[in-house]
Amino acid sequence: MKARVTFKGGIHPPENKGLCGELSIKDFPPPETAVLPLQQSLGSASEPVVKKGDKVKKGTLIARSKGYISSNLHSSVSGEVIDIRKSPHPLLGEANAIIIKSDNRDEPERDYSAEEASADSLSSGEILELIQNAGIVGLGGATFPAHVKLNPPADKPIKTFIINGAECEPYLTSDHSLMLECADRILKGAALIKKMLKAEKCLIAIEENKKDAIALFRQKIIQLKNAEGLQVFPLKVKYPQGAEKQLIYTLTGKEVPSGGLPMDVSVLVHNIGTVFAVYEAVFLRKPLFERIVTVSGKGIKNPANWRVRIGTTFKMLVNHSGLADKKIKKLIMGGPMMGLAQYTDEVPVVKATSGILVLTSDEAADFEHLACIRCGKCVSVCPMGLMPAEISKMVEKGRIDTAKSIGLMDCMECGSCNYICPSGTNLLQYIKLGKYEYLRSKNVKR
Amino acid sequence: MLKDKHLTVTVSPHIKTSLTTERMMWIVSAALIPAAGAGIYFFGPHAALVIAVCVGASIITELFCAVLMKKPATIKDGSAFLTGLLLALCLPPEFPLWMCALGSFFSIAVSKFAFGGLGHNIFNPALAGRAFLMGAFAKEMTTWKTLQDFPDGITAATPLNLLKEQGYDSLMKVFDSHSHLFKELFIGRVGGSIGETSAALLIIGGLILIFARVTTWHIPVSYILTVIIVSYFTGGLFDIPFHLFTGGLMLGAFFMATDPVTSPITPKGQIIFGIGCGLFTMLIRIRGGYPEGVCYAILLMNSVTPLIERFSKTRIFGVKR
Amino acid sequence: MGQEETNNTGYFKELSKGFIRENPIFILCLGLCPTLAVSNLVENAFGMGIAFFFVLLCSNITISLVQKLIPDEVRIPCFIVIIAAFVTVASLLMQWLIPDVYARMSLYINLIVVNCIILGRAEAFASKNNVFRSALDAVGMGVGFTASLFIISAIREVTGFGTFLGFRLIPENIKPITIMILAPGAFFTIGFLMALFNLIRIKKGKVSK
Repeated sequence: MKARVTFKGGIHPPENKGLCGELSIKDFPPPETAVLPLQQSLGSASEPVVKKGDKVKKGTLIARSKGYISSNLHSSVSGEVIDIRKSPHPLLGEANAIIIKSDNRDEPERDYSAEEASADSLSSGEILELIQNAGIVGLGGATFPAHVKLNPPADKPIKTFIINGAECEPYLTSDHSLMLECADRILKGAALIKKMLKAEKCLIAIEENKKDAIALFRQKIIQLKNAEGLQVFPLKVKYPQGAEKQLIYTLTGKEVPSGGLPMDVSVLVHNIGTVFAVYEAVFLRKPLFERIVTVSGKGIKNPANWRVRIGTTFKMLVNHSGLADKKIKKLIMGGPMMGLAQYTDEVPVVKATSGILVLTSDEAADFEHLACIRCGKCVSVCPMGLMPAEISKMVEKGRIDTAKSIGLMDCMECGSCNYICPSGTNLLQYIKLGKYEYLRSKNVKR
Repeated sequence: MLKDKHLTVTVSPHIKTSLTTERMMWIVSAALIPAAGAGIYFFGPHAALVIAVCVGASIITELFCAVLMKKPATIKDGSAFLTGLLLALCLPPEFPLWMCALGSFFSIAVSKFAFGGLGHNIFNPALAGRAFLMGAFAKEMTTWKTLQDFPDGITAATPLNLLKEQGYDSLMKVFDSHSHLFKELFIGRVGGSIGETSAALLIIGGLILIFARVTTWHIPVSYILTVIIVSYFTGGLFDIPFHLFTGGLMLGAFFMATDPVTSPITPKGQIIFGIGCGLFTMLIRIRGGYPEGVCYAILLMNSVTPLIERFSKTRIFGVKR
Repeated sequence: MGQEETNNTGYFKELSKGFIRENPIFILCLGLCPTLAVSNLVENAFGMGIAFFFVLLCSNITISLVQKLIPDEVRIPCFIVIIAAFVTVASLLMQWLIPDVYARMSLYINLIVVNCIILGRAEAFASKNNVFRSALDAVGMGVGFTASLFIISAIREVTGFGTFLGFRLIPENIKPITIMILAPGAFFTIGFLMALFNLIRIKKGKVSK
């Protein structure tokens, strides 16, 4: 199987990545009060190991993973646990969270700046344990616990390890800025994971709109002594180029079977941010308590990329960046294509937060639902080869089973169809509803 | 403070393309302006009246139907304007005006609103209107205007008519040579419907549509290629430009067959659709009773669109055939 | 056929149901082939309507009279024999009385034998009800059918020929719409009238609610 130029379908929404100006990462001051939801990853919520009144430091374990698919949670500030209560959650609406009041000393649990020399001699098991302890999840947005993903079953060996630096969502530049600032450390993390997986190749996929990052990584790889199988792969600029299945297809020519996982075609994909977090966990023994967040949108006065502690509320970030004097319409966590609109700015930054967008009424579209004119644009842009108009019509009529038979569950909700639809039909809304209804009916039958 | 703002909460995506249905319709209408202008230039002011009456009657009918069906009147989406314009362009230049109005009424009321309005019609409204007028007023629909600077005044027929009724020799007699015939056909100085004679301007309009991403290449290319292949094998090399530039082929291939509502939604289906249109057009032209077959070919293929869609489903990513 | 339905409908309702509520053409959509064929001229439509009326009335009465004698298994052939007998009578009468009209539409008169309205009334009504009710039913249906034909043919003749019963209504210099006297014209007319009948029914339904 050979690499392709690109995948079939996709769209070219206006990028708006220039809003942040020069790409540098600024440190955001630690919050006065950190709100740390227990549910930070897919799977089950973690279990608190602290109680009200406990003193914690930056990096102290405060909640332990519960079950196989779950992750650890660490305090992002030093201070005192003041409550464990229900509070707003950017993905779930509302969920239990540990509230920590900062003592403003920002005292770390241990020194996170010195690199452990012993990292190269660790065994796979030890590395996995470090990753698990650090509470690392997929930082691209899916938040699948990294230690689970990095430990594939023995019958599914990984041949190609792909680092996803596509960042195809408009507005977002957090991965881009991370790549520019921390190329060396990302490459160390990449080499570590490649060695651990015993993969033949490690491909760093970067969209061509990040020419500086591509050049930087190429140059660093040349300088590296042990760069065998390490390669930069420039991608055509197209949304959703960073979607896992489309990325694998472009890089290897292999199609992940419907309903299957990348490891079925001997591939593993990790986001660039996750690789960096793995580096920090293994070399610096630093748990995941901060991440890079793009704060952008035309409703923000000074868009920028921030290194933000998990648990900082959106309100602090938005107020710090300043609101532009325009008609504000939406507050979004994530990118404009797949991000979630928030009903309040009290929600905290979680591990899945790659960006916070404040969109003005000029940017955020009004979807007035006109009749479908069957133009077929949704069919031609669907990266999964589905017929979104048909599926959404079936769901609208309540024929979930028919919708399932024409690929309802194959949809990855990239929103391309919805973006391109000239009639402004809420295709994705119906598809999401259909998926929900299908899963519900399946559970009822069981 | 965000707190004072009203935050809108919807599912993703939060941005959308600027190419809306409304804009698509107006782009198509704009792309037809050159051909319509050429029609008025060649055939005189009555052609302009035909266009005006068709467009006006379409819009009035749309308003009337929308009120009758208690739907919001959607004149500004441009679909009624476009239907009227397309209908006018495939009518003879001297067509009586009240018949134009009747045809427009049929297009909008019967072939569009009776099926449920925009997006639900089975047949292309403009072509259905033309077919209705053809059935109702066959004589008027085939009375063509003699162009002033025609080589001799004997002909009041389209080149396709001449070929069908009087044979190849008389066609050559009128136009002297192949090259002259093809030149006149390409520019559009021949008898015919208002908007269908100037192949050059229609091709320009069609290219505008494709480059503005209003339509894709699938239907026009497969349609025209099929016509080229069939005319080569049935007639020969000289038949190719003749069949390409006569009649309503260019208008049909770029503007009528590509009507999104009545053509398949999958690219593969669109290619099948285009090939079908091409085959039926040539079948009617060569073997049929009418000199021109574009209208009926497209209407026939409209009727099998659901069937084509059933057999041209897309392949889902990650699913082997 | 197995169970006998007790029929308590009022006589007037029995008669009037064929006019609009169960109009054979617009509501039940039966007998569309002869409707399409003979409704281009009012004269033809009348001829057809009267012949149809006669056959329906006679066959309904006869069938309801002999309903006890007809074995269940062969009832359709029996119905057809009875209907065919009256069709023959009707066609001979027409040949004698109105030879012009008959010459134009003899084929359709003979095809009344297999007209689904008549067979349908025989099967669904006359074979289960008494003579008087069957006659009322036949009159209602016959009037409904004839009136429907009349409406359709009036529209088609005026628009398609510009005449009504042969008299010119629309001046010669205005072109008639030829397609209206062809089969598509019949479909358009019937379609629109069907919509109108449905509208009337919906409106009535709303009133009764």
